[in-house]
Amino acid sequence: MTATGLIARKEAGDLLLSLRGLGWLLTMAVVLSVFGLLLVGNTELSLLDNAQVVYDMGGIVTALGALLAVVVGTDAVAGERERGTLVSLLLTPASRNSILLGKLGGQAIAWAVMYAIALPYFWAVGSTGQNLVDGAVSVALLGTPVVLGFGFLAMGLGARLDSARSSLLPGLIVLLLSASPLLLGPSLRQSAIGRAFDAVNPFSGALNAYDAVIIDSQSIAAQVPHFAVTFVWLALTLWFAARGFSRVSR
Amino acid sequence: MILRTLILAGALFLTSASAWAAPLSVDLTAAPSNPVSPQMGDNLSFHTVIRNDGSIPVDGLIAWISLVQIDKGKEQPVDLEDWSAHKAVTAASLAPGKTLETDWPMRLIQSGTYRVVVSAVSRSGDNLTASPFADFTVRQKPVVESQRVLPVAIGIPFLLGGMMLWRRRKA
Repeated sequence: MTATGLIARKEAGDLLLSLRGLGWLLTMAVVLSVFGLLLVGNTELSLLDNAQVVYDMGGIVTALGALLAVVVGTDAVAGERERGTLVSLLLTPASRNSILLGKLGGQAIAWAVMYAIALPYFWAVGSTGQNLVDGAVSVALLGTPVVLGFGFLAMGLGARLDSARSSLLPGLIVLLLSASPLLLGPSLRQSAIGRAFDAVNPFSGALNAYDAVIIDSQSIAAQVPHFAVTFVWLALTLWFAARGFSRVSR
Repeated sequence: MILRTLILAGALFLTSASAWAAPLSVDLTAAPSNPVSPQMGDNLSFHTVIRNDGSIPVDGLIAWISLVQIDKGKEQPVDLEDWSAHKAVTAASLAPGKTLETDWPMRLIQSGTYRVVVSAVSRSGDNLTASPFADFTVRQKPVVESQRVLPVAIGIPFLLGGMMLWRRRKA
């Protein structure tokens, strides 16, 4: 197995087999469970379509995935540095690019596990089945670049800043700002500033695509502008992580 | 002479009165395709036939649909905003003996017992003409089914918690 594969497997193993990683996944699952139970008990939902609930679940899953990615991304570089294991990793014959790719692979596996955990929740709340499969596919296609982008951002911050705590905070702030459409909804687009923010925000791109696919029954192929925003975000954060990691010396 | 004048005046009055009172009738029926026991999210349709039973045209005809909830303790008019986009119909003129037929589609938003009525007025008429009532009951449809959510919401955290315990014991 290549060095990249070994590192990716080690990162994934940390998530799936360590108590810390399982604790993170358990926390995510509990949040999704509480959200699902709140939906069951909410009588005002009678005015909403079931598709609206699936859309809400898509937004929550993406936000939780991005949160997990920020935590895992911070831990992958800044956490390793604090535990004193980063230097020994850098001293191995593996190239910087291999190490980085391995860690990026670990991020992708973490999101894949999170997504796999979320799928039963999609099925559980999507009782009418309206656009349920398309909704899950759109979360996979558009949520993935958003979530991985946040992981790469956290890795880039971890490579540049001194401690895990100091790199975690800006990552969380960017996530909170980016995910604000989840809280504000369409009211964000009513002002010029809101529309401009909506046009460049990858989280808005994903949410608007979920809205179009799940609620308005549009095809996923028609979401090209939203794909563009999310993949530009992924490319920028990947560049940010690669640049930062190339300068890590300790 | 006086008697002839009175008869003429009476005839003029009656002619005038029949011209002012809009001689409309409104018939309301539920569409045959409506579900027998509708639930939230279903679509209903009602059909109206507005007829000019008079001898002169009715100008400026407006007919609109109204919905009221009649459940005990919840009696209230319903805002049709979410229920129907087709709330009114107009006609510039309805000739004597002619009819105006309209379908009124409706999407059922909230559970309860409802009464629908279609009213019509004209520019020259001084009375409201209302259709007979049509009552229907909408069954509750849960947006999220608890029997699907509960096993997942409880099962997955238990599964992950079990994996954590297993790892802790192994470690």
